[in-house]
Amino acid sequence: MVLRIRLSRFGKKHAPFYNIVLTHARTARNSRPLEVLGTYNPIPQPPRPGDTHGRPWKDIKLDMSRARYWVGVGAQPSDTAWRLLSMVGILEPQYRISKIQGQVTKADSAAKSLIPETPITPPAEAEVTQEQKVEA
Amino acid sequence: MPPRIRSSKFASLPRPTPSQSSSARPQSITQNTQPSRQFSQTSCQQATLRRRKFYEWLNGPGKQLKEPLPDSTNYLGAYDRYGNLVRAGPGYQRGAAKPQAEGESKLTETTNKAAAPTEEAKTPEGQESLDELESAARKEEVEKKDAEQDDSKLPPETAEDLRPFPLNQYFRSQSVLSEDLREAIYQRVKRDGATVSLASVEFGVSNERVGAVVRLKQMEKEWIAQGKTLAVPYSKAVLNMLPTTPHIDTTDPKNKGKRPIVHEPINDLIVHPATRQQLWVPVAESRHFTREDAGKAFDNSLLPADERIPHPELVKAERELASGLSFEERRKLAEERFAVETAQKKREEEAREAEIRAQKVVPQRRWDFVFKDISVESAGRNGRDVRGVGWRYGLPHQDRKKGQVKIPTKVEA
Repeated sequence: MVLRIRLSRFGKKHAPFYNIVLTHARTARNSRPLEVLGTYNPIPQPPRPGDTHGRPWKDIKLDMSRARYWVGVGAQPSDTAWRLLSMVGILEPQYRISKIQGQVTKADSAAKSLIPETPITPPAEAEVTQEQKVEA
Repeated sequence: MPPRIRSSKFASLPRPTPSQSSSARPQSITQNTQPSRQFSQTSCQQATLRRRKFYEWLNGPGKQLKEPLPDSTNYLGAYDRYGNLVRAGPGYQRGAAKPQAEGESKLTETTNKAAAPTEEAKTPEGQESLDELESAARKEEVEKKDAEQDDSKLPPETAEDLRPFPLNQYFRSQSVLSEDLREAIYQRVKRDGATVSLASVEFGVSNERVGAVVRLKQMEKEWIAQGKTLAVPYSKAVLNMLPTTPHIDTTDPKNKGKRPIVHEPINDLIVHPATRQQLWVPVAESRHFTREDAGKAFDNSLLPADERIPHPELVKAERELASGLSFEERRKLAEERFAVETAQKKREEEAREAEIRAQKVVPQRRWDFVFKDISVESAGRNGRDVRGVGWRYGLPHQDRKKGQVKIPTKVEA
């Protein structure tokens, strides 16, 4: 069976807290996992005292060597787990902002090349210039 | 009941005519022509006895309280029934001829004080002889006497002036730390790296208060760094009307021979809840029953009073002095104690820093992701060890159980 590294939600209503777990893929979310690799608290903590320009921070506990081992033997991280693991360099980032932006621009230019833009702009500009003249 | 003064009614107060007075303020508060009904323009005809009395008081004895005296409290207890300042001499007149006299006296004082340090040789701090201390004290007394003899000058505050509630004569308002003193405490702890207890002994301020001052000052500096505006005029106005403990900088040659003013008793034994009960402990006559045993009689984990006081080191120092050790020996012992304390502090600091260094911080767009490395093994064989990380499986929550404290017991400030 496929091993997955994923999050299981604990905590209370409006106070989520996740265990980062290694489980079989087809087991229930909160069932007993093979191993608890760590925790992820998604609620941002206020900057620590004495930290003047401090930023809020999110608390993550992770057994890195163990996570690296499980990824090495073929455990499949979920998207969220992938994001967390890629932050500490265990995996390549799955999504990069620049990559997605590149994809968007590529798709955009492709769409433009298919449908030529209709020349709407010149009349609008003419109106504007007329208004300016009236004002002057 | 005195009338409620609405803001719109201040406009109806009679304004002084320009020819009448040079000052902008009206000399007396007149009863405002209050309309009898909200919709009516005719003024209220009946002036009740209470209302009349109220305005009499406002224009009579209460008038003194409107403008607080500079560098003095502004309490009701300082004035008698007729609005006279109790501590003032017969020749004292408020506001009249005071500025010149004060200016002169201040000038002379400053010249005296400026001349004094040049005469005295600059001896290193902490080696003042008793003679110097005595002479300084005598000088202060002479100054005080001078002030008393001068009728037109306002004498310093007495206990009478610290009574905000005239009907409760046992309530005395306690002095607060002045701005200088708070800054000095902060600098001593933060810049010079003095321990809290050392600063507490030096300034005569309790341990808790030193901690609070350092924390609040730190916060204040952070706010200034962040560009937040502080309510400085407010704090100044309030501090002006409260009795404050001034800061006497002993390193300053001007204050030679003076001692810092003790703000409060610092070594009081805090009453432990376990000691609130009365105990009857029969003890054999042959037994040596010490304070340690007394502590244990109340509670097995209760330390003896000698160790529960805020400054046990002061008792130790005094004991050494009484045992007849020489200055050098005592100093050596004190230094040893200080070394042990600093080593302990350093160890704690290093442990904290190592913990922070072990974290991996990944800054993202909105927040930092702080990764702490843990070990899976710490959960133990059955995964239920208390050192394990994460929520437990198969263990019910304890938070609805009786006696669980949900109110936060500490605040990260």
